[in-house]
This record gives sequence, structure tokens and C-alpha cells, in this order.
Amino acid sequence: MTEAALTPREEDAALAGEYVLGVLDLAERAQAEARLRRDPGFAALVADWEVRLGSLNEGFAEATAPNLLPQIEARLFPKHPPRRSPIAAGLGWLSGALVAAVLALASIATLAPPRPDLVVTLTTADNRLAYRVTHFGETLQISRVAGVGAVRGQVHELWLIAPDSNPVSLGLLRDRPLVIPYPAPPAGFVFAVSIEPEGGSPTGQPTGPVILTATVGDA
Amino acid sequence: MDDPVADLITKCAAGDRAAFRTLYRVSSAKLMGVLLRMLRERAEAEDALQEVYTRVWLRAGRYDPAKGRGMTWLIAVARNLAIDRLRARPEPHSDDALDTVQDSTPRAETRLVAQGEARRMADCFDALEPERAAAVRGAYLNGLSYLDLATRHAVPLNTMRTWLRRSLLKLKECLET
Repeated sequence: MTEAALTPREEDAALAGEYVLGVLDLAERAQAEARLRRDPGFAALVADWEVRLGSLNEGFAEATAPNLLPQIEARLFPKHPPRRSPIAAGLGWLSGALVAAVLALASIATLAPPRPDLVVTLTTADNRLAYRVTHFGETLQISRVAGVGAVRGQVHELWLIAPDSNPVSLGLLRDRPLVIPYPAPPAGFVFAVSIEPEGGSPTGQPTGPVILTATVGDA
Repeated sequence: MDDPVADLITKCAAGDRAAFRTLYRVSSAKLMGVLLRMLRERAEAEDALQEVYTRVWLRAGRYDPAKGRGMTWLIAVARNLAIDRLRARPEPHSDDALDTVQDSTPRAETRLVAQGEARRMADCFDALEPERAAAVRGAYLNGLSYLDLATRHAVPLNTMRTWLRRSLLKLKECLET
């Protein structure tokens, strides 16, 4: 077969081209994507093809796009509802004076050097697997604080779900903390972790079992 | 080289939301064209457009202006999302869907502006057998899978794969010489 005549280099170049063209089936595509993430040489071949085949982009005619910016920005830059201090919320039954005193203490506490805010902790009921999501400055940091990552060939993928929206992938969770530029997600947003094939969900939506969820603002 | 789209993406990577809005204004018609052509359904294309710009903002830091033009990168993000969605659809596509994509822009590459890369790409496409060039173009612009292509060109899937891989390597060789 002619396939056998390809050198390994040609084989890789052809695969990268097939990936960029998009002709691979779902499973092959997921494999190529996984390789893309761990093999910089292959990633460079893919980038070369994106530029090469990009010459065909003239073939795409423009089409009227509705202004979807409001929806996109609502996903990306959630407006912060006035967040009640968790301390004040928890002590709502106390007298006003006491609350004022507690708040005074709390505001002194906020003068301390800035530290990442805990957003949510995603944990299994038995605490054997846990990820902690914190926010600092303009970034979210997600670290595994208990348990181990997914088994070989699979990966944990983190999702953020705004109210009444589809999940948005925030990235793949590995041993190192994941750091992504993102504003502080407001109460009501849900974080979820699903198990996906190595390389991440091939569809852009969770495909495997969702193993962890946590809602921002829930104690 | 002057590339305002590249500048806007770079600003997005730095968290500039005004630049993000401008980027949407200057690029959404092109990306909508990409998504509409590949996904073939307006509602899905509009949903995908939101997802594309969400990814653009979150991944803007990965864009390297030295490696290619801004619009090329944006279209790559849009095409990747469209292909993911197409491959996740149950195969095979209906004949209807295939009919609607029968070369609506025949020999698109000949309309390319006659300059640099694009000009060379057109020449290299011309060096391929017409049917094979059409297969590469159909895959790129319409998001056709090997199965779609094999059906459309009435050849076994493995034959199509061999054709296409060889065509890709020929193109690569041609562009590198």
C-alpha cells in the first residue's frame, strides 16, 4: 500500500494536515488533539498547516452576524452582584450593633496582604478527590488538593456553567495547578469536573461522567 | 506586516475588553461565514459563534503574531469548533446536506489574491489532479469527513484517505520549494 511508503516524518506531516483539514473521525481527532498537547513537534506541524491551508480562507464568504456580544460578555465577564460578606450573611440573626462590630473586624482583616479568594472547593462525598478554585487579581487558579488525576488515557476537564448556559471548558486539570485569566465568577455559577478522553472533550461539551460539581456562593 | 486583527488579539490577551468588542465587530462576519458554511444551520452557527469568541478571549494568550496573521488564527479557532461539532454529529450526513455543499464556490483558490503565500497555494493546487484538489478544498471549506468525501467522490474510504494524504504531502512539498 502507498501508506507503507510514507516515512515517519511524512506520516506525521500527513496526520497534522488531516487534523487541520478536519477529515479525521471523532476518535482519531481526539487522539491527534491529545498528541498536540504533549508533542511540541507535532503542534508545530499543525500550526504550519493552519497557515498553509489558511490560504483557502478567501473561500469563506462573510455572512451577517447578529450582535451576540451581550451574551458573550455575560458569559465571560459576569456582573458582580453586590456580594454579601459571608460573615454578615451567616450572622444575619445578630443585632445590628454586633454585626457592625463584626464587619469592622472583617474590614480590618481585609487590610491584610492580598490573598487569593476561595471561590469553591469541588470534592467527592468521601473527600478522596478534591480541587480548590481560588481567584486572585484577574486569574482563576485550580489545584488538586486531594486524590490523584484521571487514569491513563483520560483526563479531568473543568467546566464553568453560567445560569441557563451551556458549560464552557476552562481547561484540563493535571498535576500542576491550572491558571486562567478570568474574572471572579459570581454566585450561582457552577463549576464541574468531568472525565474526558486524553486531550479533553472532543465536542466542546462534557461527554464523560461529571464527577464533581460546586456552586459559587453555596457554603 | 500591518495586522490590526493581530493587535486586537494581543490586547485581548492583556485583558482589554474594549479591544475584544472591536475584534468582534471587525471579525464576526467572517467567522459567521465560516461557521454557517461548515455547520449549515444558522441557529447552530450563532451558538457556535458565541463559543468561538469565548474561546478567543480565553486563549488569546496562546496566539503568536510571529506564527501567522490574526484572522488566520481566528478562523482556525472557528473551524476547529465547527469540525468538533460536525464529527460529534451522527454519521453519515444526509444526502440533503451533501447536496447543499456541492461546490458552491468552484475553484475558490483561483480567486485568491495574487500575492505571496496565496498565489503559491493557488499554483500548488493547480499542480494537483483536479478531483484531489477538490477533495482537499471540500474538506477545508465544508468540513467534509473522509466518509463524506468517499461518498461524494464515489471511491472507497481507504482510497480517499490515500489520495488526500498524498495530496497534502504534495502541497507541502510544493509550498516549500
